[in-house]
Amino acid sequence: MTGPQGTPTGTAPALEALLPGMVDWLPTQRWFAAKGRDVAGVRLVGHQDVTAPDAEPAVAHAVIAVEFADGGPEDWFQLLLGSRTRVSGDLEYAVIGTSGDRTVYDGLADGEISRLLLSMIVSDTSVGSLRFVPEPGTEPPIVGPGRPLLGEQSNSSVIYGERAILKLFRRATAGLNPDLELHRALGSQHSREVAPLLGAIEGELSDGAGGTVPMTVAMLQDYASNSADGWSMALTSVRDLLAEGDLRPDEVGGDFAGEATRLGRTVAAVHTELARALGTALLDADGVAAVADWMLARLDHAAEAVPEVAERRAAIAEVLRGVTSADGLLVHRIHGDLHLGQELRTPRGWLVIDFEGEPSRPLTDRVRPDSPLRDVAAMLRSFDYAAFHQLAEWETGSEAPGYLQRRAQEWADRNRSAFCDGYTEIAGHDPRADLAVLRAYELDKAVYEVLYETRNRPNWLPIPLRSMERLLRSV
Amino acid sequence: MNEGIGAVRTGATDTSTTGNAPAPRGPEETVEPLVEPSSDDFRSARQLPVEEGWYKRAVFYEVLVRAFADSNRDGFGDLRGLTDKLDYLAWLGVDCLWLPPFYDSPLRDGGYDIRDYRKVLGEFGTVEDFVEFLDQAHARGIRVITDLVMNHTSDSHHWFQESRRDPEGPYGDFYVWSDDDTRWSEARVIFVDTESSNWTYDTVRGQFYWHRFFSHQPDLNFDNPAVCEAMIDALRFWLDLGIDGFRLDAVPYLFERDGTNGENLPETHAFLRRVRKVVEDEYPGRVLLAEANQWPADVVEYFGDAEVGGDECHMAFHFPLMPRIFMAVRRESRFPISEILAQTPEIPENAQWGIFLRNHDELTLEMVTDDERDYMYAEYAKDPRMKANIGIRRRLAPLLDNDRNQLELFTALLLSLPGSPVIYYGDEIGMGDNIWLGDRDGVRSPMQWTPDRNAGFSTCDPGRLNLPVVMDPVYGYQAVNVEAQSNSTASLLHWNRRMIEIRKQHPAFGLGDFHELGGSNSSVLAYVREFVDEEGTRDVVLCVNNMSRFPQPVELDLIAWKDWTPTELTGGVPFPAIGELPYLLTLPGHGFYWFSIHPAQERG
Repeated sequence: MTGPQGTPTGTAPALEALLPGMVDWLPTQRWFAAKGRDVAGVRLVGHQDVTAPDAEPAVAHAVIAVEFADGGPEDWFQLLLGSRTRVSGDLEYAVIGTSGDRTVYDGLADGEISRLLLSMIVSDTSVGSLRFVPEPGTEPPIVGPGRPLLGEQSNSSVIYGERAILKLFRRATAGLNPDLELHRALGSQHSREVAPLLGAIEGELSDGAGGTVPMTVAMLQDYASNSADGWSMALTSVRDLLAEGDLRPDEVGGDFAGEATRLGRTVAAVHTELARALGTALLDADGVAAVADWMLARLDHAAEAVPEVAERRAAIAEVLRGVTSADGLLVHRIHGDLHLGQELRTPRGWLVIDFEGEPSRPLTDRVRPDSPLRDVAAMLRSFDYAAFHQLAEWETGSEAPGYLQRRAQEWADRNRSAFCDGYTEIAGHDPRADLAVLRAYELDKAVYEVLYETRNRPNWLPIPLRSMERLLRSV
Repeated sequence: MNEGIGAVRTGATDTSTTGNAPAPRGPEETVEPLVEPSSDDFRSARQLPVEEGWYKRAVFYEVLVRAFADSNRDGFGDLRGLTDKLDYLAWLGVDCLWLPPFYDSPLRDGGYDIRDYRKVLGEFGTVEDFVEFLDQAHARGIRVITDLVMNHTSDSHHWFQESRRDPEGPYGDFYVWSDDDTRWSEARVIFVDTESSNWTYDTVRGQFYWHRFFSHQPDLNFDNPAVCEAMIDALRFWLDLGIDGFRLDAVPYLFERDGTNGENLPETHAFLRRVRKVVEDEYPGRVLLAEANQWPADVVEYFGDAEVGGDECHMAFHFPLMPRIFMAVRRESRFPISEILAQTPEIPENAQWGIFLRNHDELTLEMVTDDERDYMYAEYAKDPRMKANIGIRRRLAPLLDNDRNQLELFTALLLSLPGSPVIYYGDEIGMGDNIWLGDRDGVRSPMQWTPDRNAGFSTCDPGRLNLPVVMDPVYGYQAVNVEAQSNSTASLLHWNRRMIEIRKQHPAFGLGDFHELGGSNSSVLAYVREFVDEEGTRDVVLCVNNMSRFPQPVELDLIAWKDWTPTELTGGVPFPAIGELPYLLTLPGHGFYWFSIHPAQERG
């Protein structure tokens, strides 16, 4: 995945002129994943005109490579650029720069452009290397213009009349994006646990050897209007509990256990459907050992940076090796980055979203079949986070009173247990039955979190540290 | 006049035959139907002008005659007492009174066991008193509907007494008789606590009779055309006197068929269409309200054919909404309400839901489908407080711990969700209940008018009161009464009156479409009601409700009304115009807003 995508043509010279300005523009974008690293330069590595370059507005797709001052590996991103000779005030916030007589801006901000993209998907269009494809058997709504979704993190989306959502993947990665791949697979199972896929924009990246590899530009899905994410709902429940103080989680009005049970059912249904659509395998002893090795490598990486991990390295390693305790490990494609924020409550039940996997891991890792217990463990971790999040935000320099800590722990225990109960109902087996394996996955995740919080959010560090201690104690 | 089989000839009187074996009839005995009063025997109340669809905008008020006002010092509320209080109800702003049954009855089921369809219960007064009451209500623009039980009668009704005594007589086939008790075993027993079977043996006739409810309430046999005629004539009797409609009690059970559970049968719908046609042809503007304790998707059937705008009942109660409102506030989540509204089908153009927070009855979970019951039990069973509250009979204020913020939030929901609101008497002043009274009497205590003796309900000796007045320190009549609240503009009573008034200024509340807005904050329930009248005038009302006890922010997608201006409805305060970005609002704990939103240039 190195080397430019052919020779820039069309509006490419105009785009080249914008690149120096992007050094300052990129770090201000929410989706820019390399915040904190100084951008040294930006290169254009791929380009495809979507409209004629002098259309009003004109649209182009571009892939840029960002080089960093620290000399580390470069990051590639996708842009959908709009340009006009005159830009209205509505679009000013999205302007990147000017090139000749045209002002260039982030195209998703322009309703006319989002409407054009949707109509191209509906009519199954190809332009150069870009293919706009409707999902077979679906009828994407013909509505528009789209409205940019605010507050998103790693990708950028527009919403069409509360009917459909188009998500532009910001990272340019060779290969089929697992989000699109797994939504297709779940669609084949008529899954009711994900928002149905309606279409996609697919492109190509040079493979560096004269050929090309497919790349996912964007995907179009049903929009789950009137939804709220599980993370904020769980926090609402915890807030209600902690305000009460002397009542237990099963006694307060904001009890979340009913939702946690339904979430467990939903995740189990997704697993069943993924296994059915894409097959399962049984890892033999070597395969399981490889999983353990991978966890141990991640442990070593964390131990280098975090003294609390280094001190407990031997004990942690012992628990992680628990993953090898099973005779064989059933694996299939999983979500890979599950947490309460990846689940949407709608009036018709829960939906699971964002099947990209952990964004920081290479694609080859993300598409590797893994135990569904990894997803279950990730959810258990998420319940811990929700339980202690408010206490972690306790005023600096002091610790939340012990009785609140106990309430929070009771909330976590109750909802983790309810989640597993719901999962068991649908999956037909209890994830807690493979306790050593489940604990290994959970501790693996907790170690990763300790490293992440140490680097990014030190005041949240007590949450995974506490869990790490608990998991080690309970052996 | 509309005379059915009941009023053909004079002859037999109501002879008590209880306990007697059927006597063989001598050849000299004639078979003569019973005399029943005709509406011609009475004057009729003045009529309100026929107004199509009035029930879709009306605010209903359920009033128990027995508990409202006592005019003759016998300790029971009566129709004359109620008539005296009509000025209060007009001041409050209610459009239609719903009276539970006031017919002659042995009162073994709160009057739902009717002994005579054409007679008023003695302690309530007379048919003449009713006509006077109706006349005075109409003089104030207030309509009146009442319950009518079609499915069954009291076992002391003449019809039943005749039916058991004389199987070959004119009433012999008025009820559902059988030689054995094995038929229709698929039909569930509704009152499982007191009844073990839907069949009871009658020693007089020597046969079993069918009853879906209590054994003292035999089901009428609607397969007998004479029964259909007699029932329609009973309706005509009251319609002739001027009544504005009926709440039809227990409608799903009128017919019985082999191999079915006896609920919602096609024959039942056919009979309701016939009743509707009588109303449309002979009494336009009157309304039929179905009491069908069923899931909304099934209840919709009782509105009839949507192609013609509905040809059975005009209205039906939406039962599952009420517990969902309580659950949503308890869970601090909009989803219990969002879910039930998402599962509520469209209704015919001329149909309307009736919605309520509390009424004279308890709420049971037996009415709903298995799925819903499982869901409700799963939620409530873990929560002892909700479990207790959902089944027992409490008034609104005690259910909400007398929390003014929650009382206002619940009422705002009642007045703005899709459907016509039904207020239960006394809830407008936040009356309490008396949990020490048995059965459902706890919520039927006398209306609290003043801090004087008997709460101003009656001037009788306090010991003579039918039910004692509430006397506890929080909800007692000295603390909670109409007189005191009338004198304070900050009272709950004034607040309720103001909200009813605002509701009536905006047709969108009664007639408008319902569109839920969603929003990322699950504790906030936001929706838009929108009505476009024949001239194309848009009435758009935005309602935002905080289900949480804590303050909450919410960002609403109002882009469809870009550049329009929201004006808060209780104070008329204009809010910032709607722009490109999500509209940010902050709400206090259990707070709510009602906005009218309109194009900026329309602001005066």
